[in-house]
Amino acid sequence: MPSLAPLPSGPGPSGQVPTTSRGAAFRGLFSAAIAVLLAFAIAGILILVSGKNPFVAYWALLRGAFGSTDSVTFALNKSTPYILAGVGVAICFRARVINIGSEGQIAVGGVAASWIALNVPDLPSAVLVPLATIGGALAGAAWASIAALMRLKRGVHEVLGTLLSNFVGVLLVSEVLHGSMGEPGAGFPQSPLFPQGAWLQPLFEGSDLHAGILLAVLAVVACHLLLWHTPLGFRIRLLGSSDRAAAYAGVSVARTVLSVMLLAGALSGIAGAVEVLGVHFRLIQGFSQGFGFNAVAVALLAALNPVAVLPAGLFFGFLEAGALAMQREVGVQSSLVYVIQGLTMVFVLCALAINSKQQRV
Amino acid sequence: MRCSESQDPADPSPMLQMQGICKRYGAVRANENINFSVTRGQIVGLLGENGSGKSTLMKILFGMVRPDGGTIRFKGQALSGHTPRDAIRAGIAMIHQHFMLVDAMTVAENVMLGWKKAGAWLHDRQVAEQIRSTSQEYGLDLDPDAMVGDLPFGKRQRLEIVKALLRGAELLVLDEPTSNLSPPEVTALLAVMRRIAGDSRSIIFITHKLAEVFRVCQEVTVLRDGKNAGRCSTEGTTRAELARMMVGREFGLATPRVEMGSGAEVLEVTTITLKDSSGLKLLDEITFSVREGEILALAGVDGNGQTELVEVLAGLQAASSGRIALHGRDLTKTDVTQRLRAGLAYIPVDRATTSLVPGMTIAENLGLRDFAEPPLRRGLRLNHPAFYSRAVSRISEFGIRADGPGATVDTLSGGNQQKIVVAREIGRKPRVLIAFQATWGLDPGATRFVIDQILALRNSGGAVLYLSSDLEELLGIGDRIGVIANGRLVGIVPREKANPAEIGLLMAGGGLLPAALEINEDLG
Repeated sequence: MPSLAPLPSGPGPSGQVPTTSRGAAFRGLFSAAIAVLLAFAIAGILILVSGKNPFVAYWALLRGAFGSTDSVTFALNKSTPYILAGVGVAICFRARVINIGSEGQIAVGGVAASWIALNVPDLPSAVLVPLATIGGALAGAAWASIAALMRLKRGVHEVLGTLLSNFVGVLLVSEVLHGSMGEPGAGFPQSPLFPQGAWLQPLFEGSDLHAGILLAVLAVVACHLLLWHTPLGFRIRLLGSSDRAAAYAGVSVARTVLSVMLLAGALSGIAGAVEVLGVHFRLIQGFSQGFGFNAVAVALLAALNPVAVLPAGLFFGFLEAGALAMQREVGVQSSLVYVIQGLTMVFVLCALAINSKQQRV
Repeated sequence: MRCSESQDPADPSPMLQMQGICKRYGAVRANENINFSVTRGQIVGLLGENGSGKSTLMKILFGMVRPDGGTIRFKGQALSGHTPRDAIRAGIAMIHQHFMLVDAMTVAENVMLGWKKAGAWLHDRQVAEQIRSTSQEYGLDLDPDAMVGDLPFGKRQRLEIVKALLRGAELLVLDEPTSNLSPPEVTALLAVMRRIAGDSRSIIFITHKLAEVFRVCQEVTVLRDGKNAGRCSTEGTTRAELARMMVGREFGLATPRVEMGSGAEVLEVTTITLKDSSGLKLLDEITFSVREGEILALAGVDGNGQTELVEVLAGLQAASSGRIALHGRDLTKTDVTQRLRAGLAYIPVDRATTSLVPGMTIAENLGLRDFAEPPLRRGLRLNHPAFYSRAVSRISEFGIRADGPGATVDTLSGGNQQKIVVAREIGRKPRVLIAFQATWGLDPGATRFVIDQILALRNSGGAVLYLSSDLEELLGIGDRIGVIANGRLVGIVPREKANPAEIGLLMAGGGLLPAALEINEDLG
């Protein structure tokens, strides 16, 4: 195996924008590429076994992901929640706070944004959209804070707290859709269509690409600056490397844990808001399905480096978009995408584990 | 026998003969053409600074690392391409600094763990009997039915030795076995070692402590920078000569101790008590004060409350009762950061997880304790240029050998790592320094550096509380010497009146085995 990506390096000594050394960055890219190639090769064998030509299937996948402006748009929109939630998870994991609660936080963020969109429909779009998004962020943060407080006050491990609150968050969506927010007479648990003023406007005329991707990029940049250029980021990195060192440095564990959980919750909440305001234009049951765990996967694929979350999230988004096309055109089951995603993760994580000794925190 | 810079195995058929051992890690030559031999029935000292190649050589011997070149002969048989399992079968045992024991099992169960001869069906009573007789034979005083979790450090070490002996080890490698023992325990261990060697077995004794080498070793081999620096019989050499061989140069004179008179009292600690959740007193009414320009040295065997005391003083744990004051200002209720601001510096014992973050850069580690305060913080942001410039000046001021401020700390040697801690804590010119085993695991050169820095701080008027289990070091550095045992401070004496034998016994005071107390032939 080639030697693979170490964790990202921090700010250059003289305070320039942090980058890894060129060699390390190259090795990282190289190893990620090898991991993806291996995953595709093995999945290709599976496609072959299922009686389809893997090259034809992959060609369909490629066209499905990059073939047209529409397909790229579709993929970018798919990537958005992965990036938003993933970068929050990355920050949490950096502080060794194992937040696997994105799914619930996305769900609750979506509910809050929908509630605002449906209840104050007459506000101008320039106010309503930001308001609903902020509402989603606050709701996501509040939801995450439950697990954080359970850990800090009662010693309940955050894995348990966030995992269990996922189920509750998702069921909350069902609950409101079967109750006050449901569309009367609809065959599926969903809310009425939002007023146009609450729709996340497309970035370009006639395109479906919504502004969420800009928020995602913004979140990535902000989290990068936070981690490497602020005292809070320093605390996060300290806490992530050693509780004892953090205590020695005078870092409050409680405040830091709460900060990262609130941040991740808010970002997931925004992801939820963007999904309902920009993609579905309504709240629908199960809209957050699987996002939470994919967010964890994205964060790990990015080696917990906020900047790398962007390509990792895009990879997941484009892969999914292409897979749907592959399923449509060649008849290959789209579940193979999960196989590819899973295999990629396995290879990348193995590579990272090999190099874990060289981690820079 | 005169010391020789090169090797000539005088013994025609040594028990162990390693010849021309080479091992490279990338560009680093960990072992370069090293020769090493052990005669049956002898205790051979293996000396060298950190990074001199001792551990690599021993790992090669034990089959944990494959050498690039060289031959090993053990009892006339060639050993090559062997695994640790083969080494054990051949009769080599390695006793590490960190024991491989299961706390929740008894002594006998630990002995049986992974021991083929214990059989598929365990014969507890027979094994217990064997442990009893072996431990009697060598004066180890081990109870086969005791739970390992309840045993003090010294006894666990003896258990490791018993395990090795019962498995038929003929060559024991002891890796710094005395670093966590009280003086009487050290004496007892050295006596055990002599008995084992007298029984036609051999011991390789890895250590930094020259005094101990002279107490038990017949022969000593010194490594430096991965090469043989010399080999000689202990009869024909002196401590100074061994020290020179280890570091490759003469030590300069120690920082002189300036007479400070009696300054004002800076740190006042009054009846500090700390209870654990079950109400057990970990610290029992500890009261002392430290003056300006004074070093108060507290001796004690690990686990007698030192960790708790320094953590209470540094603000990492809250005392159950008592008062801590600095220049008359009550600090009892303040946190780590406030105490830091008040001028209290702290060097913890543990570099790997407490005082340093190995994955962070030197610059970041130097700012570990005040990153959130100007000049390291500017507005909401970290001021990276300030981190950088501080690092540049500290690196040159404290002679830290590193690639630069951006190098991560895990790339440095132990000595250079500790220099970073010292540079951070002493570099801010504290009023009070608390140093806990500040020279732990350091080679003589780095130890000297740390001690010199602490003395320099004292000479410039700083108050220092120095805790260690190394009595020799404490007697050298302290203006007053105290002993902490079982969470109590048992008496403080001025350095002129300090009697090593008495202090050693006080240190052993509580939880120590009586056997160790009887064997104090070369104390005092």
